[in-house]
Amino acid sequence: MKTKTNMKTKTKTNMRAISFLGLACIVALSSCKKDDDLVTVPQPIANEAEVITTVTLQFTDAAGVQPSVTATFRDPDGDGGLNYDVFDTIRLQNNTIYNASILLLNETVSPADTISNEVLAEDDEHFFCFTPSFANVSIIRTDTDGTYEVGLQSQWTVGNVGNGTTQIVLKHQPGIKDGTCAPGETDIDVTFVTEIQ
Amino acid sequence: MKFIVFLIVTLSIFPLIAQDSCSYQLSGYVIDEHDRLPLSDSKVYIIKPRRGVFADSSGYFVFPELCSGTYEFYCKHVGCDAVKKTITIRGNTKQNFYPEHHVDFDVVNVLAKKTINEISLGTRKLSEKDKNETKGLSLGEGLTRINGVRKLSTGNNISKPVIHGLHSNRILILNNGVRQEGQQWGNEHAPEIDPFIAGELAVVKGANSIRYGPDAIGGVVLVNPKELRKTPGIGGELNLVGLSNGLQGNASATLDGNSSKFPAIRWRLQGTVKRGGNAKTPDYYLKNTGSKEYNFSSAFGYNKLKYGIDFFYSQFNTDIGIFSAAHIGNLTDLQQAFEAEEPLESAGFTYDIDRPRQHIEHELFKTKGYLRTGKKGKIVLTYARQYNKRLEYDKHAPLNDSLANLNLPALQFELTTHAAEILWEHIRINSFKGSLGINGTYQENTYEGRFFIPNFQKIGAGIFWIESWKPKSSKLEIESGVRFDNIYQRIYMWQYGAIVSPAQNYMNMSSTLGAIYKVNKQLILRSNLGTAWRPPNINELYSNGLHHGAASIEIGDSTLVTEKAVNVSASIEYSGKRLSLVLDAYYNVINDFIYLKPTLVPTVTIKGAFPTFVNDQVNAHLRGLDLTLSYALTKELKVISKASILHAFNQTTRQYLVMMPSDRFENSLEYNFKDGKKVENAYVSLSVTSVLKQSRVPENSDYANPPEGYTVLNFAAGIDIPLKGNRISLGISANNLLNTRYRDYMNRFRYFADEMGRNISVRATIPFTLFTPKSIHNE
Repeated sequence: MKTKTNMKTKTKTNMRAISFLGLACIVALSSCKKDDDLVTVPQPIANEAEVITTVTLQFTDAAGVQPSVTATFRDPDGDGGLNYDVFDTIRLQNNTIYNASILLLNETVSPADTISNEVLAEDDEHFFCFTPSFANVSIIRTDTDGTYEVGLQSQWTVGNVGNGTTQIVLKHQPGIKDGTCAPGETDIDVTFVTEIQ
Repeated sequence: MKFIVFLIVTLSIFPLIAQDSCSYQLSGYVIDEHDRLPLSDSKVYIIKPRRGVFADSSGYFVFPELCSGTYEFYCKHVGCDAVKKTITIRGNTKQNFYPEHHVDFDVVNVLAKKTINEISLGTRKLSEKDKNETKGLSLGEGLTRINGVRKLSTGNNISKPVIHGLHSNRILILNNGVRQEGQQWGNEHAPEIDPFIAGELAVVKGANSIRYGPDAIGGVVLVNPKELRKTPGIGGELNLVGLSNGLQGNASATLDGNSSKFPAIRWRLQGTVKRGGNAKTPDYYLKNTGSKEYNFSSAFGYNKLKYGIDFFYSQFNTDIGIFSAAHIGNLTDLQQAFEAEEPLESAGFTYDIDRPRQHIEHELFKTKGYLRTGKKGKIVLTYARQYNKRLEYDKHAPLNDSLANLNLPALQFELTTHAAEILWEHIRINSFKGSLGINGTYQENTYEGRFFIPNFQKIGAGIFWIESWKPKSSKLEIESGVRFDNIYQRIYMWQYGAIVSPAQNYMNMSSTLGAIYKVNKQLILRSNLGTAWRPPNINELYSNGLHHGAASIEIGDSTLVTEKAVNVSASIEYSGKRLSLVLDAYYNVINDFIYLKPTLVPTVTIKGAFPTFVNDQVNAHLRGLDLTLSYALTKELKVISKASILHAFNQTTRQYLVMMPSDRFENSLEYNFKDGKKVENAYVSLSVTSVLKQSRVPENSDYANPPEGYTVLNFAAGIDIPLKGNRISLGISANNLLNTRYRDYMNRFRYFADEMGRNISVRATIPFTLFTPKSIHNE
């Protein structure tokens, strides 16, 4: 009977020890996480990680005869929110060969961030696709990432007078670039009205 | 003190019994007479000699070392009257007990019937079998076993419960009695709850708006942890689940303790880890669909009959990979993805989670105290704090290297909620019982990164009163409740370079009236009429942005008004010898129902033209029924049929509502083996689930027609092995056994990929006892 009582006391002590251990764990684990931001001062939208607000096409006559042309699409606050404020028509002279380069900007920050430089730095992940709606313009990419073309630089061979559109798409194709437009996520998709004068 | 005397007495007679050669045992379950649920921690005892054993958490008990002869057994559940049964022992004997379970007196019971007062809406629980078979799956997935509950999923990792066609802000999830407050407005925001925490999962279908807030238009999901241990000692349970699809592994362990010196002290520690890789459809792997999760919780209770206090803390952490091919740039990408036979991005198997992904943390701290006021009443005070952090990473990091190196999420929300409640409950006074309470909440949200919803503060206050009337011998019970709420919210956002902070105030009343008629022990009829209301959510008022997963622009409307619902429901519950039946029918009228309406003019962005949706209000009628029929062909073989039908109509524009679940039918055969000496509850079941094509959709509301209907075959088997009073439970199930190729209308990634192929899961539940005071189990 005596040993029984001893055992009982011992087991009780054990239990108490384990119970307190459990309690200690509960307290230790219950440290609360906090939100450090102020509700009343929202993060400015300009702080957004990165957007492309502006696409500008710069055309120069390969022969140096016709004046240079630029055409811009600009949506100053990115997707959603306000609509675009600049959406130019591409006006090119007939029967001319133009060299075109693409400039991409993020104008939500000041000074504007030149996104096309980042695209150039990661040209093996990016691919431009040009789709004119009419036969009066034919476009080829003239730059390369070493394996595939990129499209930041291109050559536009302009034929007879006419009106149509030109769709310009930038695909982000990390690790999946294969020289076609199919894979990847679309970063830019703008269709410019195009007039051949 | 009595208890300690009992211990000492049993201890001192222990040697006498041990010397006895009697070796028969009595085993069985202690079951609630009313709802057939196991009553954990009940006591089965005899007076001469005075001996007793406690049932385990599933109500199972083993009374060992009985001699042949006739005994008078008593069975008692905490707070209940003991039931007496005379049993003659001639060998090992099985006997179940059905003690009268008086809910009112049960001081620490947190079961559904306690927390939900509106009993005229039937509470549909996930059966033990279904709970076991869905172990390792997400909460939303598991709940679909309850007829009438479906899921809205975003790929294979994210699923939200849909009750009678309603989800997100229209249903309420009660985690341990606390309203779950996450960013539940988002279709791809799944509930932040570890299903392994739940001892019980249940759903109340229909407007259940009095007790926990006015906005439960669709229903309530109850996630109730098991009660804390009531018997002295330390024990626990280990759950191991492996799933073949995605090679997913889950381990969850629970440790429960109760002090023998201070029986009022109870505690629990619980933790879960989960890791899964890329899921596979019948034909291909889904790129970047792995997930990992680590959760833990702890609970401590000091519970006396007159007063007591409980603490609970839990943390949920998850990283979820979002299927890469579903993150698209614009509508052309979407069209291409949809036309492709297989996703345009392929992958093999990996556990790695890449962009796009979500990281979510959810923290809950709760404390609850109660104090008995006189013989008839009880005051309960509750305080809870929740913190929810949601980080969403876009598919590609910023092009700018220095920005990319920061590895910031594109979108971050932090939501903190404080809630407090004072409740007075009274047990039956002159045929009336009920409760009266007030509650208040304070909530604040902040965002970083891309704008989708603004910062806000929200203050809510409510008062409610609910009473039920039932004379002692009456078969009829009537209940009625009323609630009044005021909700104030203030928004902080940038507009044209300046911070604007508009505020709104919403005030409304909701009420309920219901009746329960217990025709006899087999047949119960319920009907309920309830109203509910919901102020427009912040995203419905102010969201403005591009949804990458949906290739659409969603625009909020700050002039939206309160959504108001009237819900009528009726149910029949019959459980006969062979046939049992549950029928739930409902008609839900929702005025000023907020939904996304497509606009005719798409928004032109640098990524192309996007279809644009504005939040609009219409009058909606949702009606349907859920039927579950079960028929025992023989003692062992049972056939179960389920049907769930819903019509959701937009009365304003005279067309169907978009994104509503289509009709679903399930038929299964279940064979239960006779219990053997070493094996119990063995069963095999085979079920066929058919989901019809959703033909009730508005015209031109979607990029593609709803997918075809489908039929999948599922298999499950389970077995229990009793071992020294504990029972090890083993099981295997196979979902989509035939590896059927299909797409589901309620999966938002239906444009991009097929559903998961065959998924075989193997599970083991191993209860263990670390320590028992010798006196309890006479072994």
